[in-house]
Amino acid sequence: MPGRVLKLPLLLLPLSLLLMSCLTSGCGKQEQRAQNGVIVLDFWNGFTGPDGKTMEKIVDAFNKEHKNVKVRMQIIPWGTYYDKVTLGLAYGKAPDVFILHTDRLPEYADSEALNCIDDLVRLGGLQPKDFMPRAWSAARWKGHQYAIPLDCHPIGLYYNVDLFKKAGIVDDKGKAKPPRNLTEFVEAAKKLTVDRNKDGRPEQWGFAFTWLRTNAHTFLAQYGTGWISRDLKHSDLTSPNARKAFSLMTRFIYQDKICPAPEGQDAWVGFRTGKVAMALEGIYMLTSVEEQAGLHFAGAPCPQFGPVPAVWGGSHLMAMPAKISPERRSAAWTFIKYLSDHSLEWARGGQVPVRKSILASAEFRRLKVQYEFSKKLPHVVYLPQSVATNQVLPFCDACVEAILNRIKPMDEALSEAARRINHVLERS
Amino acid sequence: MKAWNRNKYAAGFLIPYFSLFAVFVVAPIVYGFFISLHKWYILSPHPTFVGFANYRAALKDDLFRIALLRTGYFVLMVVPIGNALSLLLAVSLNQGYRGTTIYKVCYYLPVLTSVSVVAIVWRWLLSSEFGIVNYYLRLLGLRSINWLSDTKTAMPSIALLSIWWGAGGNMLVYLAGLKNIPRELLEAAEIDGASPGQRFRSVTIPLLRPTILFCLVMSVIASSQVFGQTYILTGGGPYYSTLTVILYMYQQGFGLYQLGYGAAVGYLLFAVVLVFTLLQFKLLPFRRL
Repeated sequence: MPGRVLKLPLLLLPLSLLLMSCLTSGCGKQEQRAQNGVIVLDFWNGFTGPDGKTMEKIVDAFNKEHKNVKVRMQIIPWGTYYDKVTLGLAYGKAPDVFILHTDRLPEYADSEALNCIDDLVRLGGLQPKDFMPRAWSAARWKGHQYAIPLDCHPIGLYYNVDLFKKAGIVDDKGKAKPPRNLTEFVEAAKKLTVDRNKDGRPEQWGFAFTWLRTNAHTFLAQYGTGWISRDLKHSDLTSPNARKAFSLMTRFIYQDKICPAPEGQDAWVGFRTGKVAMALEGIYMLTSVEEQAGLHFAGAPCPQFGPVPAVWGGSHLMAMPAKISPERRSAAWTFIKYLSDHSLEWARGGQVPVRKSILASAEFRRLKVQYEFSKKLPHVVYLPQSVATNQVLPFCDACVEAILNRIKPMDEALSEAARRINHVLERS
Repeated sequence: MKAWNRNKYAAGFLIPYFSLFAVFVVAPIVYGFFISLHKWYILSPHPTFVGFANYRAALKDDLFRIALLRTGYFVLMVVPIGNALSLLLAVSLNQGYRGTTIYKVCYYLPVLTSVSVVAIVWRWLLSSEFGIVNYYLRLLGLRSINWLSDTKTAMPSIALLSIWWGAGGNMLVYLAGLKNIPRELLEAAEIDGASPGQRFRSVTIPLLRPTILFCLVMSVIASSQVFGQTYILTGGGPYYSTLTVILYMYQQGFGLYQLGYGAAVGYLLFAVVLVFTLLQFKLLPFRRL
């Protein structure tokens, strides 16, 4: 009997070890990456919206046109996307081509996780001169090329055409006239803010802050400043210009009363449902308003609030991991070039391309909102190109939230954020 | 010899558990400490040894201090109120009325629900625009409250849902403790003319001391590690008002991949909780019967 009892645990031991080894190494078969001489490339992105469908069409077309390369696309929601990419890059399971935003490039490139593509660019196929210079340089790090920009998504003004006409903000031809500068903006927003029952809580707002980060970034950039100084050594939030930018934003809420405090508001839903007349949002929100039944909207370049005609913008960059075999690298380059060459298709899904030849084309000019937003491309200001950007952004977000909701006095919130940002910059 | 054989079999049965325990608990604890001594960004090819620099940086970091204070505030709300509620529920369910089993199940059900489900349900309940709580407030002619987006109400709201979520668990422990109290003692007190209040104060509570100590210690440890509720409902905001230590550790370690710094924050929390647990054993008059 005791002998039999002993057998059970002895049986359990190898089983448990087997279980553990499965858990730690992954039991699945090695992925099949080359089939009958065809190279199968993995391509990751976070395009979960209608943009994903556009990308799928481009990828399908690529697969039809190329016999030796097949692209397998995986869409991962942005919320968890960078976790997967970062872990993939850290542990050698990264896809062959992946999309990343400009603010991620410095930390990835600095950690030698990205493939340097200087040679591929030199060998031709893509002309650096054909790209908008700011987007092109956002794909570089310490003098080397690590990615190719696919697009640029600048912030712009979305406005409700019906509400504009109702408020009489029209040009000579009776068409809704979007504001171009601060005076016109405040004047229009005042006309568009309607408080019918005079309870101090308007039913319709002239303007609303949607994504605080991009909105505040635009105001800061228009006053010639930013979250971090140009030399990337310290925070610029305590500068007089930063104070001017935030004073203007709070003025809209508490003095002009043309905009609600962002606390507990979903301002973008407000715009879509006609309760907000103007919003500053990225071009990528285009499809969400196009799908909104009964909403007549239009897009215009972001008005100029401060002395500098700057706007926030980001780009989707196409990159490869540092570790990739030469054959796959060359196949991946073919795919990247294809995507760049077909960025007009991509633009149709609600993006602005960065190839000058495409921007100048008649087809692109027919995409009304995209074309309007693209006018600000030469003035796009990206998030700071620093390895610490993603570490300091949470402080920036909290600071804007605190100022606009009057959780903290402005000077205090700005100096607290600056102190925290400086602490991180020192550490990294 | 017999004892040795028995122990040998016992050891054999324990091997599967201990091997898993060693791999998934002991090894990560040791490895975590090792990581905390390095400047370790997940993608950097060579982590650099920095000794206790991460610990020093965390102690200088005002957000870590804020997170500690917020966690303390949460513990102070959840532990006393939660335990009082659990005890109250246990005592009322111990009266032997009919149908108490249904109530037991009802009170215990939230404990079985995952934190994400609980948090999402409460997000809807407390939503400023569409929430049922604000709906009733407005019905009563009161102003609606931005439960989760106001710095003053966000943490108490999270404490409230945590109390609701966890009350059933401690209730069962208290019930077990109450069942262990010999009926004769309560009857003797009753014969001596003690009122129900006196019986509760002088017989039940003293005999429940070990149970109370157990529940208090476990609640302090568990609530110091609050994470899921704040992560899902507020992400630490508005303006750091619900930033708890584990959330801060997560943000540093798994949001920004500053693994060394995140690990150091985790170890500092461990030290604080350890000190408080020892203090509870030392100071609370519950140790001896």
